Amino acid sequence: MSSLVGFISLALAVIINIFLLISNFFIKYNNKIFNLIIKVSSILTIISFFSLMYAYIVSDFSNFNVFQNSHSEKPLIYKISGTWGNHEGSMLLWLSILSIYGFFFSRTENINIKFKQQTLLIQSFLHVLFGLFIVFTSNPFLVNSVIVKEGLGLNPILQDPGLAIHPPILYAGYVGYSIVFSLAIAGLFSDSDNKGWIFVTKRWALISWTFLTGGIALGSYWAYYELGWGGWWFWDPVENISLMPWIAGLALVHSLLMAKGEQIIKKWIIFLSILCFSLSVFGTFLVRSGILTSVHSFASDASRGLFILLIFFIITGFGFLVFLLKTPENSKPINFLFINKVSALVINNILMIIATLTILLGTIYPIIVEVLTNDRISVGGPYFNSTVIPIMIPGFLLMSIAPILSWQTNRIRNARLYVIGFIAISLLVLVQSYLSTFNTWGVLGLILGIWIITASFISIISSYKIDFNFKLLQKINPHIAHIGVGIAIIGITCSSVFKNEYDFNLNEGDTVQIEDTIVKLEKIEMTNEVNFQALRANFLIERNKKVVANIKAGKNYYPVSKMITTEAGIYHELYKDIYFIVGDQKDKNWFVKVYINPFVSFIWIGVLIMVVSGFIGVTRK
Amino acid sequence: MKRLIVLSPLVILLIICFFILIYLLSNKDPSKPPSALINKDIPIFESKSLYETDKIIKSQDFKNKKVLINFFASWCLPCKVEHPLFFEISENYPDLFMLGFNHKDKSEDAKNYLSEDGNPYDFVGVDSDGMIALEFGVFGLPETFLINEKGKIIYKFMGPLTKEIIKNEIIPLL
Repeated sequence: MSSLVGFISLALAVIINIFLLISNFFIKYNNKIFNLIIKVSSILTIISFFSLMYAYIVSDFSNFNVFQNSHSEKPLIYKISGTWGNHEGSMLLWLSILSIYGFFFSRTENINIKFKQQTLLIQSFLHVLFGLFIVFTSNPFLVNSVIVKEGLGLNPILQDPGLAIHPPILYAGYVGYSIVFSLAIAGLFSDSDNKGWIFVTKRWALISWTFLTGGIALGSYWAYYELGWGGWWFWDPVENISLMPWIAGLALVHSLLMAKGEQIIKKWIIFLSILCFSLSVFGTFLVRSGILTSVHSFASDASRGLFILLIFFIITGFGFLVFLLKTPENSKPINFLFINKVSALVINNILMIIATLTILLGTIYPIIVEVLTNDRISVGGPYFNSTVIPIMIPGFLLMSIAPILSWQTNRIRNARLYVIGFIAISLLVLVQSYLSTFNTWGVLGLILGIWIITASFISIISSYKIDFNFKLLQKINPHIAHIGVGIAIIGITCSSVFKNEYDFNLNEGDTVQIEDTIVKLEKIEMTNEVNFQALRANFLIERNKKVVANIKAGKNYYPVSKMITTEAGIYHELYKDIYFIVGDQKDKNWFVKVYINPFVSFIWIGVLIMVVSGFIGVTRK
Repeated sequence: MKRLIVLSPLVILLIICFFILIYLLSNKDPSKPPSALINKDIPIFESKSLYETDKIIKSQDFKNKKVLINFFASWCLPCKVEHPLFFEISENYPDLFMLGFNHKDKSEDAKNYLSEDGNPYDFVGVDSDGMIALEFGVFGLPETFLINEKGKIIYKFMGPLTKEIIKNEIIPLL
């Protein structure tokens, strides 16, 4: 029953949008009716999504999708997340988020009505494309032809709270760019020079970018403690394709800032708007077609792949074609000086685009090579680390001073203070690392991170009157975001450069010393949980002869899908994580791997600051 | 010049789509990476017969024999779908030893299933706790393996077999 409701409302939503697109050529809708149509189709799509979710919650195995991906013994939260834990459901989630954005955008006021309608029409067009894709190739409401009492389970690696909410947040980022895209295309079509779209675009671009940041961070955090490889970023293709729209979106948000200095590079903003959404769709395509091998690989199906490729081609081709035909001209010449805000932003933008293209090349290179030579190669960490990071470093350096640069002149306020600060920090870090372990990347990263934080603080203190209220927070928000970046850079640098790895063969009761910590493998036990069997080793962490924590690490065995997952045990401290992985048993001894990951928590703290300040930025008028 | 810059995204798009299109049309499927078990010796196991509990089969028993191993269960619907195909294989290749593993099943249910749908296997081993499947890295039912005379795994297929797969992928190996 719920499947029927779901399918009918999905089909209706698509039909309404097709009707709107066609009838728009003949009928001139008034604003109210137009908005009503958009809202009805949005609500129908959302109803469709919740019907699927309901089928998952009540374990309705007469729905083929539920039968394939769920199991009645699963805990409720994973039944719910099972809704988007598979191809069909996740595409429906994609469409629902598109509808939610459309719904809220239709409520936007203080914007030219014709312009708004054009934007929403493009949203409708996107809805139709993806809606047809779901109905014809990825229908989650198919009826199970056989009567069964039990489902086939969910990929256990996805049974994790972090991952349950990771896809919706990530999609909220990806799909949010659709509004930015539609605004840009509508902007190209409406020849009038209306400045309103800059401010509207800015808000939606920031919302999408913030969700994308949160989504990527959640995925990364999940990889950190669930995959059990001791790291948090692997330059996995699926990670790369989420990073591309993120960097392009960062460039977009910053070039929109230029509007504040009356320096609108309309052409560039529109280009980035189209690029962000194109990369998002490209990402969806690569993941959903299963064309890239990665930890995220899902079952693939060539016809689906072709269909999404077609959608990607239509959207991106359409976007850039309109851009080619109706390239806007800048109304004013750009005030480009040796060192002012505009030049810093432009240089940063160029660096970010180069970084995006570099990642794009590394990600699709294996496909090109396989087509040409039939060899399967993989491009991994070494390529990206040695290309992307050096491109980003000058950008980070610029970022530390960009907020205090002037729009109109070459003058820097308090220049001396900054120079002294920078030299002092560099010397301090150099001496410190010379006395401990010297590493070029480590020194560079640390100087950058600390410098960005310090420079942001200097700017806040020297430029604003400090009285604590929300208005001030809104004003200094860009600096706060940059402090977040600085903190994250310190975390990224330390955890990748100064990481240590130790291997042991331990029996129950054995004690080992790891740096300043004494670790005891207390005992190993097997337990039966709701839907899996757990093997857990209990480690006691001792400092100064006192037990400060006990950490469980081990493995889970999921009988329904017959999979084993690694459950890393992590002892979190502010300055380092002690990361335990339990391997196989050999002659009574267990293989135990311990990573000391310094300053990992800084990454999550930094990202959290960025996300919070992103949302504060949205509230800014 | 300016036109050229504005044109470049479209050119890049065309190149990317061109390569991906060829890739998709050439039917390359990265979702089926070669299994780590391919060309390895079969895992060591020991299993009781479903019908006579005193009869035991061991991994060492297959010297100089080609073996097809199929993991199935009475509760597994896709297994039911591929089931009739095994009769054709066993008819056409009488030398091939067909070993079925009854996976996590009640022995009553399994016997009923095999008497209703027929028993194509030369031996039906019991894998009630799933340990043998674990050794084979079985991901989900059904799964089929092909072992050569040297006791090495030469083929693995996840999911129900179809006529095409048997014709194109399994028969050439027999």
